[in-house]
Amino acid sequence: MTVRSPGAVALAVAGALFATPAVAAAAPAPTAAPTSQALVVMLGDHTARRAPDAEAGRIEAVAARRPLTRTRTVLPVLDRAGRHDEWLHVRLPGRPNGHSGWISANRTRAASTPWRIRVALGSRRVLVFDQGRLVRRFPAIVGKPSTPTPRGSFFVEESLRLRSSESGAPFALATSARSNVFQEFEGGPGQIALHGTGNLSGALGTAVSHGCVRLGTRAIAWLASRIGPGVPVTIGEAGAGAA
Amino acid sequence: MSNHLDFTRGRVALIGIAVCLVLAAIPIGVAQAAPVNLATAQPFVVLSGAGVTNTGPSVLNGDLGVSPGTSLTGFGLPAVVNGATHANDAVAAQAQSDLTTAYNVAAGQPVPPGNDLTGTNLGNRSLTAGAYGFSTSAQLTGQLTLDAQGDPNAQFVFVIGTTLTTATASSVVLINGASPCNVYWKVGSSATLGTSTAFEGNLMALETISLGSSVTVLGRVLARNGEVTLINDVLSTPQCATGSTPTPTEPGSGGTGGSGGTTVTPAGSGTKSPGTTGKGTKKPPTAKTPTGSATVTRGPKSAAGVPVTVRGKRIRKVTVTDNGKRVGAPGSARNVLVPATPGFHTVVVRVNFTDSTKAKTFTFRFRVPVPVLQPRPGPSQFTG
Repeated sequence: MTVRSPGAVALAVAGALFATPAVAAAAPAPTAAPTSQALVVMLGDHTARRAPDAEAGRIEAVAARRPLTRTRTVLPVLDRAGRHDEWLHVRLPGRPNGHSGWISANRTRAASTPWRIRVALGSRRVLVFDQGRLVRRFPAIVGKPSTPTPRGSFFVEESLRLRSSESGAPFALATSARSNVFQEFEGGPGQIALHGTGNLSGALGTAVSHGCVRLGTRAIAWLASRIGPGVPVTIGEAGAGAA
Repeated sequence: MSNHLDFTRGRVALIGIAVCLVLAAIPIGVAQAAPVNLATAQPFVVLSGAGVTNTGPSVLNGDLGVSPGTSLTGFGLPAVVNGATHANDAVAAQAQSDLTTAYNVAAGQPVPPGNDLTGTNLGNRSLTAGAYGFSTSAQLTGQLTLDAQGDPNAQFVFVIGTTLTTATASSVVLINGASPCNVYWKVGSSATLGTSTAFEGNLMALETISLGSSVTVLGRVLARNGEVTLINDVLSTPQCATGSTPTPTEPGSGGTGGSGGTTVTPAGSGTKSPGTTGKGTKKPPTAKTPTGSATVTRGPKSAAGVPVTVRGKRIRKVTVTDNGKRVGAPGSARNVLVPATPGFHTVVVRVNFTDSTKAKTFTFRFRVPVPVLQPRPGPSQFTG
């Protein structure tokens, strides 16, 4: 893999380091995880707005399908508004990291997930919760100091099966997080994923990645067979149940 | 004559009083078992004398140990041990020693003749506290209900001469304050828990213990001399108070259920049976005697969910919760469908009555397997 835009990298690193304390402080405390997360499945394209009002300012367009696999977009629901809950406050993918907006409940379908993932950067582990219970704890490779894994609250945008010759094989959980260092990487938007270690170097439990979270083959296979789009992913220094 | 009659009446009265005193001194529950103490074996959810072999993503919520053997196989990922691991160290050796003591105490429990269950199946039975014996093997097919009758210290001891075998999807359900801390299974040779068995209690076997796939255990699996074999199972130690007398910390917690339809009855939460005094002597029913009753029926698990039906007398209010979240209409949910979302479910049914009958709580658990996802192919465009 090659690094693009070196000049921008330095600026972004400085920005990321400056922003880190505030983001870390906003990371959730290592308490018991909620038992489920409300989701919304988008059945059509939507416009995310700043308030639950059709006249409110437009944030961005949200496509009904994800760009890599063309699966339906699934977003975590943070709040609802309106007499009949006709507006949904949802977490949005992409930059700025962790941003959210309001979409109409029309052309959507309600769903939920019992799963929740926490990436504990301090212990370099991925914790998996099912209905609030810690069920798995995997060692992982996280971002190195110059290209740190971004902290905050995100979600799985889409899960992919990768060819064995591709970096990060055999699976990837592409998240809504974007690198605070790379605006672009390998033709993508600097997207942070949980993926395998195929065709990549580094030992589990170290901080050597460009920002993605690398997991052993069995671990990512276990996740990919269970974790679908919309599952919340929290990245912080610690995680509940972390050693 | 009259003096003789008076003397005779007095003697009869004295004899009557003496008989009453003797009867009062004999506990009504003659089957009550003596306490069993696991001591240092208590933190172990799995303890073996020869070795432990696991296959698949089992989860052990408790310590794992082996002594005097050393073999622990299959406990790397994807298996998870949420506890300490002791491979033939001093901790495991002491735990084995204490297990032997507990095993012998359980084996020495006096089993009343009426509690000899040799040749019968434990399935579809409801038993109260006490010691129960099988001179040879024991079989569980279906659901076994252990009813503490409101006594949180109620102890159940099963003294099994040879093997214990459970059929697929069998279950042990604890009601009315029964605690898995106080349930002991002494198995004279080996135990085999069939696929998807939901087991509760402390399983102490002289030889091997084999768990089929997707078995859940709320308790302990302790083999003195043989191996323990696990396949994609979930085992959890209950929260028990330490000390010589087992004292559960989960009063009112219930059992673990399979997928079949079952009935849990009767129920009572921390109360004595109506018309029974603390000393076990019968009290005639009065106009104020509580007459409320409730039966909770759990239907078979389907893709939609698990139906729960509550029937009984003088029911004022029924509250059903699934993992702490209310299910059905508040207060009057007599027929509720608990959605079968993937994962573990702990369903608590709380019944209040219109008269002075104390509220009753029923608890059961079930598990819905997680569907296997198959991600679509896509390009690797990530930061790596």
